[in-house]
Amino acid sequence: MSVSPLDTAWLVGLLQAGDSFYPTGGYAHSFGLESLIDLKVVHDRATLSAFFRLSALPTLAHAELPLAAHAYAALDPSAPDWARTAELCTLAHALKSPRELRAATEKIGRQRAELAARLHAHPLGADYLARAAAGAWPHSAAVSAALEGRILGAPRDAVLAGICYSTLSATLAAAMKLLRIGQNAGQSVLTEALAQTPAIIAAAAEVPLDEIGWFNPWLDIASARHETADARMFIS
Amino acid sequence: MADFHGQLSLRAAARPEDGVTTLAAQSFRAPFHLSKSYWEPDTRTLLVQVVNPTAGILSGDRLESSVSVDPGAAVLLTTPSASRVFRMRTGEARSLQSFQVSAGAWLEVLPEPLVPHRGSVFHQRTVLDVAPGGAAFYADLLFPGRIAHGETWGWSRLVLELEVRHGAALALRERLDQSAEHLRSLAALSGAGDTACFGNAVFIAPDPSSAPVWRAELHALQRDGVWIGASPLHTEAGWSIKFVAPDSILLRRTLADIRRVLTKNAPHLGCDARKL
Repeated sequence: MSVSPLDTAWLVGLLQAGDSFYPTGGYAHSFGLESLIDLKVVHDRATLSAFFRLSALPTLAHAELPLAAHAYAALDPSAPDWARTAELCTLAHALKSPRELRAATEKIGRQRAELAARLHAHPLGADYLARAAAGAWPHSAAVSAALEGRILGAPRDAVLAGICYSTLSATLAAAMKLLRIGQNAGQSVLTEALAQTPAIIAAAAEVPLDEIGWFNPWLDIASARHETADARMFIS
Repeated sequence: MADFHGQLSLRAAARPEDGVTTLAAQSFRAPFHLSKSYWEPDTRTLLVQVVNPTAGILSGDRLESSVSVDPGAAVLLTTPSASRVFRMRTGEARSLQSFQVSAGAWLEVLPEPLVPHRGSVFHQRTVLDVAPGGAAFYADLLFPGRIAHGETWGWSRLVLELEVRHGAALALRERLDQSAEHLRSLAALSGAGDTACFGNAVFIAPDPSSAPVWRAELHALQRDGVWIGASPLHTEAGWSIKFVAPDSILLRRTLADIRRVLTKNAPHLGCDARKL
């Protein structure tokens, strides 16, 4: 199979955006995992793997990926649907009851949208930022990933795959700092989780707007308690 | 089996002469039925009990309810017994409930728990719309099944949607659509066990300034296997309060404790829902 230079342009762009070196601030968040570790729910390789399977992947499948898929459709550069984009940004925040999870998507989403506009000469990024500022839209990591994908010219499913990788790898990076788990074990957990992503990417695009949403009650409680924790390593 | 298309419509208003809340308008159709409402003078709250005289929720049931509370009125809406969702060989049951709270009004929605039986299919959508200056407490309890019969985590499909609007803004949209097996696995991972029960509450507080105090008191309720966390909603319109208990008794006790803690901030929560 041949790969055209155009394909490699968006591919390297997505690789850059998914790298931990890309300064979106994702490294500062555990997305509730720190508190679940503090509460002894996640404590070793097996429970971390279960957390990925039972919580991280379903959140991607039912919330973040469908949001990104709808945003990708709305942000068609030839005819952007700004009203739908604004609706998705608000929805992204309304779906998260814990404040820290909203703050995480706000910071990462804002940073990623600003980077995308700054690094790539494409009018969509600047237009998005201007409208978001004027309309006081909350920022969303999923929507900004779709925005950057559109700017790069990446196919939708590749953008969703990038979200899967960056979310799971950031969560794993937090786990590696908090748990006694080795590099090989960590990569094994990540590999197991990534193996599930093609199926959830395929399903995510079919989720209607009014069926987006999923939550893990224990994660939401843990994240709410993290807001007032006496000691913490991560912002969320 | 007959398919119910139950409807309930209530509007509560404060009497101009003394501020006492009355039902200014009401209409209902089976399986909904209203008990005689009771004015609780100490908390100045109208206690309204919605009764489902049938055994529970059956396949084909379509339930729609709409409750609005006018400025100056205060209502506690409750049910006398658990809502059992029975096994459905075919079809499903659906419930759409809508609550509107005006500025200066109070609404508490405190139904008894939802108990989905083995093989049940149920979809509930709740919309709570609170105007700026209005206040509300909404609590949903979910049992994993007929715990006393040893039948848990057996529903075929359960979808619980909650949307909270504050003025024109969407403050919260939640969708619980886990399979029974998935939620059982999450309960096992979290150490809650096979009889884990869930509470999901939203508090639109009359006075947000005291939140740091009562949040610490709520978080102190995390003991005996109970988990509880409170966090501000998007737009800071109110609070999400989630709690999980290892059994139904602890869940009920936790809800009672939550209401007791919040009563200092919202005196209407002192109204005893079991007074009827």
